[in-house]
Amino acid sequence: MTKSINSVIEESKFLKMVAKNWAFCFLLSFMVLFSFTGKGFLSIVNFQNIIHLSVIAILMATAETFVIISGGIDLSIGFIMGLSSVTAGKIIQLMFNSGNYSPAVSILTGSVIALVLSLLPGLLSGIMIAKYRVPPFIATLGMWGITNGIALKICKGFPVAMLPDNLTKIGNGYTLYIKSGEGVSFFGLPPGVGNDQIREYLRLIPNSFIFIFIIVLFLWHLLKNTKFGQHTYAIGGNEDAAVRSGINVKKHIIKIYVLSSFIAGIAGVFNVFQTGIGNFTPFGAMYELFAVAAVVIGGASLMGGKGRIFASVVGVFLIAVLENGLLISGVQPFYRFIAVGLLLILAIVIDELFPDLF
Amino acid sequence: MKKGLLITMIMLLVISMGTPLFAAGQKDAGDDEITMLFMPGIADPFYYMMEKGIKAKGEELGIKIISAEFPKSWGPEAQVPILEATVAQGGVDMILIAPTAIDALVTPLKKFYDQGIEIITVDTFLGNGDYSVESDFSFPLSYIGSDNEKGGREIAENLAKMIGEKGKVYVNSTNPDVSSVNGRVKGFKEGIKEYPNIELVGVDYNMDVQQKATDQTLAALQKDPDIVGIFATNVFSSQGAFQAVVNAGLVGAVKLATWDATVDMINALKKGQVDLVLAQKPYEIGYLAVEWGYKFLKDGTEIPKAVIPGFEYFTPDNVNDPAMDEFIYK
Repeated sequence: MTKSINSVIEESKFLKMVAKNWAFCFLLSFMVLFSFTGKGFLSIVNFQNIIHLSVIAILMATAETFVIISGGIDLSIGFIMGLSSVTAGKIIQLMFNSGNYSPAVSILTGSVIALVLSLLPGLLSGIMIAKYRVPPFIATLGMWGITNGIALKICKGFPVAMLPDNLTKIGNGYTLYIKSGEGVSFFGLPPGVGNDQIREYLRLIPNSFIFIFIIVLFLWHLLKNTKFGQHTYAIGGNEDAAVRSGINVKKHIIKIYVLSSFIAGIAGVFNVFQTGIGNFTPFGAMYELFAVAAVVIGGASLMGGKGRIFASVVGVFLIAVLENGLLISGVQPFYRFIAVGLLLILAIVIDELFPDLF
Repeated sequence: MKKGLLITMIMLLVISMGTPLFAAGQKDAGDDEITMLFMPGIADPFYYMMEKGIKAKGEELGIKIISAEFPKSWGPEAQVPILEATVAQGGVDMILIAPTAIDALVTPLKKFYDQGIEIITVDTFLGNGDYSVESDFSFPLSYIGSDNEKGGREIAENLAKMIGEKGKVYVNSTNPDVSSVNGRVKGFKEGIKEYPNIELVGVDYNMDVQQKATDQTLAALQKDPDIVGIFATNVFSSQGAFQAVVNAGLVGAVKLATWDATVDMINALKKGQVDLVLAQKPYEIGYLAVEWGYKFLKDGTEIPKAVIPGFEYFTPDNVNDPAMDEFIYK
């Protein structure tokens, strides 16, 4: 039965295309569906909101894509993000409230230190995995606890507040503000216009969209067109073969976990810009599991060797659109949990049914 | 070399096992004074505030107060080991505890009760919280804490007044499986029913993730752009909901009511990000627990099975009033 479906699909170019990009086709059909069921779903404002609020999930999923292609898994990214967020938040808070530093200097220093610090958890997991053969699941689970503990220690269990207001203005800002008849303003409302008049302006291209677009483009290039990317696929496909072909596998695995950890660090700093607060990661957040889910929905295999950056991004959007659409359509929250669960199972089933396509 | 290491390790092991024994011995020595143990639910400002009330009353009455370590996460798996270890040090006459589960704490607490230690539950309770009816969980002397449903109803009343008793309201809550938060939502729903012109358009659960709260509130505002009131059940909900209100350009048009007067929340109120903050009275809860517990242990006075202190409300009008300062959790 399975074989015959496969052969039918093999013969038709169109069906092959659909099956290979089923997540994308699902995304489109969901968007059409919700446009009918949800009042206010089909609007530029809503789509911009979805993109803006998916930035962290996209960063997490791209980080996880590299790791999963190499045949590993990184469970610590959610808490590395929390660590990076509270570190940046705490430094900005201390510098800004001391009165000796301008908001810009405080924000820059906090962000840079948090980013540099976020290289460390990945380096440690990478060394454990590559040199001491600790399974990635265990090594990153250890780092999961360690980073969360340090983050909670730094912030003492409270979100780090009292940061400069500019943070959220940048993080939640738009590139263009247009008011019909009055022209265009870039990167902010025209002077003298208050928050309560925002509704009169058409806001286009969130700053966060440009930010995530550049990062995703860079990571896509890194995975698809560079030696680093090729080696990542090679290690995930067959580690022994990769060793024999002269790749320094140990060093490369360490690099992959450092990259993943660093991207999680970027997510943490972005989090501060988006919320204006240094947030530790709550236990119930499950960023890492949703990232894995998005990567798998995007067609990657947990066995390693396959996966694409843009497909993972589609996976993130599929979950985000599903949640947003059901919410706007007025579906109760409990059914939304079920829907996301079903989607994930469906992804695995499709992957199992048509293994040759991906 | 290896032998040396082994001996060092064995010595360390012996010392680490022996030390608590000595410590426990010392504590048993002066046991004619009353000793109360405070077992908080989690390390947060609410319980820090309660600890202050307990210590203040304890000092006033000249009784000994032991504070157990504050658990880092919410749940019996974190709380019970700390409780067991602290009681094992000996000398405890009464436990003031915020049980982190309505069922899982019954057995460990019953065990201590059978050893002659009295129990008062503070903030949270065992079973359904009604100790006046004979049951498996009715052994604690009293429940001293807030009535979450009542608070939810009062928030509904206050919010209704702020929005002129008409329009659409929305609730952003945290977890669907925590009784206290569910009580707030339940009470709010009941309270809002009293107003025929107010429509509750939805309840969402953000699982304590602020982005999720923003996400959900934005979607709710997209669906119903004419929402005029939001009840956010804790700090994550309210900060996330506020960011959504800003992004949607509805500052001032949407009134935001929230729960728990942490320093962050009060600052948000001062900045105009939040319009109403309910303050529980953790200090008073702690203070009352020690007072009643002392009366019982000293003179055998009968304690009410439930003692419920009320709430205070912070609004932009009274937030700078020095008299309100004592209700901020800090």
